[in-house]
Amino acid sequence: MSVLKLDNVSKHFGGVIAAEKVDIEVPAGQITGLIGPNGAGKTTIVNMITGMLPVTGGTISVAGNDITRAAAHEICRAGLARTFQNIRLLPEASVIDNIMVGFHRHEHSSTLAALLGLGSANRETRDMRDRAMALLDRFGMAGLAAYPAGGLSYGHQRKVEMMRALASDPQFILLDEPIAGMNDVESDALAEIFQGFAGSGKGVLLIEHNVRFVSRLCNRVYVLDGGRLICEGTPEQVLNDPAVITAYLGG
Amino acid sequence: MSQLIAGYLPLFDLYLLHLGLAFSQYIVLRAGVFSLASAALAGIGAYTAGIFAVKLGAHPLLGLTAGTLTGMLAALFLSIPLARLRGVYQAIATVAFIQIVVSLNIYSEGLTGGAMGLNGIPKSVGTGSLLIAAAAVTYLVWAIERNRLGRAFNAIRQDEAVAASLGISITWHQSLAFAISGALAGLFGGLQAYHSYALDPNQFGFHLLITILSYVILGGRNSVLGPLIGTAILIILPELARPLAANRMVIYGAMLIVVINYLPKGIADTVIQQVRDRRLRLSGGAS
Amino acid sequence: MLAQQLLNGVVVSGVYALFALGFTLVFGIQRILNLAHGAIFMTGAMVAYYTVAGGGPLWLGFILAIVASGLLSVLVELVCFRRLRKTGDEEFGGIISSIGAGLVIMSIAQQVSMTQVLRFPFETFPVVIFKFWGLRVSMLQLFMASAAIILVIILGYFIYRTSFGRRVRAVTNNEHAAMLMGINPNRIYSQTYFLAGALAGAAGVLVGLAFNSINFVMGEPYLMAGFVVIILGGLGSIPGALLASLVFGMGQTLTIAYLPSGLTDTVIFAVLFLLLLFRPHGLMGKEEAGNLRGRR
Repeated sequence: MSVLKLDNVSKHFGGVIAAEKVDIEVPAGQITGLIGPNGAGKTTIVNMITGMLPVTGGTISVAGNDITRAAAHEICRAGLARTFQNIRLLPEASVIDNIMVGFHRHEHSSTLAALLGLGSANRETRDMRDRAMALLDRFGMAGLAAYPAGGLSYGHQRKVEMMRALASDPQFILLDEPIAGMNDVESDALAEIFQGFAGSGKGVLLIEHNVRFVSRLCNRVYVLDGGRLICEGTPEQVLNDPAVITAYLGG
Repeated sequence: MSQLIAGYLPLFDLYLLHLGLAFSQYIVLRAGVFSLASAALAGIGAYTAGIFAVKLGAHPLLGLTAGTLTGMLAALFLSIPLARLRGVYQAIATVAFIQIVVSLNIYSEGLTGGAMGLNGIPKSVGTGSLLIAAAAVTYLVWAIERNRLGRAFNAIRQDEAVAASLGISITWHQSLAFAISGALAGLFGGLQAYHSYALDPNQFGFHLLITILSYVILGGRNSVLGPLIGTAILIILPELARPLAANRMVIYGAMLIVVINYLPKGIADTVIQQVRDRRLRLSGGAS
Repeated sequence: MLAQQLLNGVVVSGVYALFALGFTLVFGIQRILNLAHGAIFMTGAMVAYYTVAGGGPLWLGFILAIVASGLLSVLVELVCFRRLRKTGDEEFGGIISSIGAGLVIMSIAQQVSMTQVLRFPFETFPVVIFKFWGLRVSMLQLFMASAAIILVIILGYFIYRTSFGRRVRAVTNNEHAAMLMGINPNRIYSQTYFLAGALAGAAGVLVGLAFNSINFVMGEPYLMAGFVVIILGGLGSIPGALLASLVFGMGQTLTIAYLPSGLTDTVIFAVLFLLLLFRPHGLMGKEEAGNLRGRR
């Protein structure tokens, strides 16, 4: 089975340890949680997986392909997509244009055809537009397609970011604190979407602050503190672990 | 009537020549590269074409091809160091590049005529050729805007981290934008050489940089209409009022300050956005 | 011969330091590259010239030049950058806006001077040459060097020893945090621009005296040199700019003395180019030149 795997991964900034010997496995078809208090190194892990930060030691692989030293754009092509902790849409572009960018990985018309505006490139653009509309329909946002993305409500912007990640048809999705700043109704709606990802065979790594949300959704949870994994297991095991309780309550 | 048209023909030629250079500047900005090198690249193309004609007696088409290719190659060469830099650092590096090209040009007297310039270039380009070239370039930019390259450029310009996370190679796309920019500058530099008998090294310096940057800033940086409109306004404006022509640089300077502060998207992009907003309001969707 | 060149290099370095310190100070505090800085420098030289030409003493011209350049610099910030900072597009917009300001200032200077090269009347600055150890030093050179050193020390005192300097450095590090501490950043910006402009104006007067040649484009080569110096020193770094001025001033003097004259510019800008390629954050700057840009 396909798996996203971190093996003994470390990150040092000079003498400061941001992550030390971290082992994480994200299997396809499941939601895996990564929790930890503020400053535990969660975002560092995401940035290393997605190629935004060079890794100091260890290996990261997707379905057996080593992506440890791959550039950020190559990692997407290996089948990985992400959302950002602070939503990052292209603010000037419309909703549908934001989603169409997500299809980049599946665009195959030649550069020359694109430069000269040949039929193949134009057909591809129409095709991508149709597929983006289909996604918008699925998320119940087709009516907002032409609106500038920067003007949408917070919840809608989250959904657009989710659709953009989905557009690249990834095997694995990294969600960096996706329900931060949302009310219960909104986060419940997103929870359903995440379960849908896993149901369709994608592997999900859910990085969260909200322990209750994670324990409700995840099959397996990793707990990070001070750059080290202090615990892993099912949500019940993790929540009852004394080390985790100490880390969260401070000790 | 025909005399009136003939009177304005030189102005129209200038418009077409500068339109190509404006598109050269436009395409790099579009891809999120803050390069100001178009003036130097145009100089390289112009001198290559000029030297081909004067020293080798080459056919204009061959000279223009050579000018386009050298412009493109110089831009590709420049894109290697620029890929490692961002923002103001790119701007400074490209200004340095312009200075290097101008001073090397003056130094290589034997080849380029040095400070005296390159003279005696046979005039072989007229309004017709310029019109064809300008139309072709406008089509090219319009085509890029409509398909995957335009989408990738937009993503990189607005947020590089997002673009990379979606599988868009920043280096590759910016090098491509650079190559196109260099080819356009080289081609229109070459056209300028064959349109004007003589070339002067300082013609392609800081002054030209400011001029073509002004076209793009005023017109707009994100739509093919931007350079078309910006270049037209700034070329026609001084003709409408002679006192303005004498103070051309004050006008350009004040215009840059006012536009970037109060109309930062430029005329075309602002109008396009307002039309779009109005249409959305009329169709009356949610939020 | 070499010793003489080194001596000349030191004097030149002082002028570059005055020019580049303000340039880099403004970048450090606002992340804005003020391309009108060369025109402000030129304004200083012009004001001094017209004071002397109008019958005033040189010391008055010098003071008026410093004040006028400082005020002009404040005006440039108000008109060109203040609004841009609110929209958050000051990196790109600031360059465009300040190119515009530079053009306007230079065009006005061109009209005022009627495109002439202006020269101070003979003996505006007494021509006295000292000779020692086989070296020749003019009184003017001594004056330039001491003026540069005094002004740099005054700037250093302001930045590192006064509460004004502490506020400047606070805003440089983090505008938002500084505001929370009750610092009004706009006032700090105006004061910093005044200081930057005043230093540039002083440099303009010194250069005008040294070459006895003042014209409306005299700022451009200094703006270009300023690029090299502040990149070499690391954008925003004051000690870096000082060190880089010395390296650059020496390097340029020696290049002019020992290389074919037509190649000086090529060499200087090729060095800048290579520097950007291999050490873009300079001798003492922070590593940020190649960071991926986020949302703009």
